[in-house]
Amino acid sequence: MNMGIIRSGVLIGALMLMSAAALSAHHSFAAEFDANQPVQLKGTVVKVEWINPHTWIHLDVKKSDGSMERWMIEGGTPNTLLRRGLTKNSLPEGTELVVDGYKAKNGSNRANGRDLTFTDGRKLFMGSSGTGAPRDGKDATEK
Amino acid sequence: MRDNNLVLMAATVLLLAPSILVAQNGSAGAPPAKPYTTPKTPWGEPDLQGTFSNRTITPFERPANVNGREFFTAQEVAAMEKSATERNGDEGRNKGTRGDVERAYNDFWWDRGTKVTTLRTSLVVDPPDGRVPPLTEEARKRQADEAKRPAFRGTGANGRGTDTWLDRSTFERCITRGLPGAMSPTAYNNNYRITQSPGYVAIQIEMLGGTRVIPTDGRPHVGPSIRQWMGHSTGRWEGDTLVIETTNFTDKILYRNAAENLNLVERIRRVGPDEIEYRVTITDPTTFTRPWTVSIPYINTGEDMFEYACHEGNYGMEGILSGAREEERKAAEAKKGSPR
Repeated sequence: MNMGIIRSGVLIGALMLMSAAALSAHHSFAAEFDANQPVQLKGTVVKVEWINPHTWIHLDVKKSDGSMERWMIEGGTPNTLLRRGLTKNSLPEGTELVVDGYKAKNGSNRANGRDLTFTDGRKLFMGSSGTGAPRDGKDATEK
Repeated sequence: MRDNNLVLMAATVLLLAPSILVAQNGSAGAPPAKPYTTPKTPWGEPDLQGTFSNRTITPFERPANVNGREFFTAQEVAAMEKSATERNGDEGRNKGTRGDVERAYNDFWWDRGTKVTTLRTSLVVDPPDGRVPPLTEEARKRQADEAKRPAFRGTGANGRGTDTWLDRSTFERCITRGLPGAMSPTAYNNNYRITQSPGYVAIQIEMLGGTRVIPTDGRPHVGPSIRQWMGHSTGRWEGDTLVIETTNFTDKILYRNAAENLNLVERIRRVGPDEIEYRVTITDPTTFTRPWTVSIPYINTGEDMFEYACHEGNYGMEGILSGAREEERKAAEAKKGSPR
């Protein structure tokens, strides 16, 4: 194998480690949510709180006994989403979503939105190989 | 605008590639730079105004495995950018781990950048090894006493405990990332707006909000008893470079273990129509064994700035503290219930 490629591989490994600190959000998600309590929630959007430091999506989730339970899902910061072409109207009330995340350590019906998927299987916000933005012609990788 | 930046950056990489080879071979150095004339404001001062982002995937310190090289090769840049783009997917995430929780959500929500914005192998440009100099003995002793302080002084997304909000960082408490932390790239909101009026330069910072207003009229620093989270800054023009000196820091916040004795000299200049070089020399003889310097490219975005009213819905703090109480309650219950 080409030494350059090997070296690059090692280098990337090191860089990923070095940038680990920069991977964290405004606050520690691992302190807020429990790695031992992964949850998958299927529900409908009640509202989106378009607030700082992070957005919160409110979902109505139907339990197995038929009753409804309200959940809050922590998402990204509004400023980044705006730059990606999203607004608070992008997830209108009634939108059906599947949320993969981790439950809050405090036992409340809160979770982080690790992955949000529409019921037809499309992943929300993982649209392209570039910025991840919806395809709007701005992303060079779309061409 | 974003397209233009991508093209510009790609062009810059191509243009610089030959000079890197020259630098690596130790010969005459880079070819003479194309002359660039900094525009002037109507009142005759160098014009630095615009909106900029300092997001980058260039590492802060030089990685050990580039063997001391000052510049990345074009091949390494391509590999790093490819990897940063792929990171936008799900690769390398292990479900059920602390790391996965800390990663929070898929990369659509982030704005860490996918581009190498300087071909240097580190943002630290001095010492020549591209590494932050070691701490002094005194600073290491102070470090050991951090837990006894009334509040945690760190600025990352972390804490020293979960007993009270005072155990969490100034970032999590929505106060500030301090200086030069607030001028350094993080995971998102890496945006800045520079505006000028005669005798003043203002730098608006998107992450956590706030605007630095820097007088350039030659006034002295305030007296030593006045201590501020962002210190006290005075500026002057040296040619087309804005030089800012900042002192009078409070002891309530740390930058890499430095607090009230921190002294910063920032140098901000245009290096082209779409790029500013931000350079800061960090001096604190009570903390660092020598002064050191960081250089960060600020790339023109032409985008708007948005407000980041951090405490508006900081449910995270509530979640962290109440989560810890719940875990304590469960632990106490388990202890009570366990057979003797």
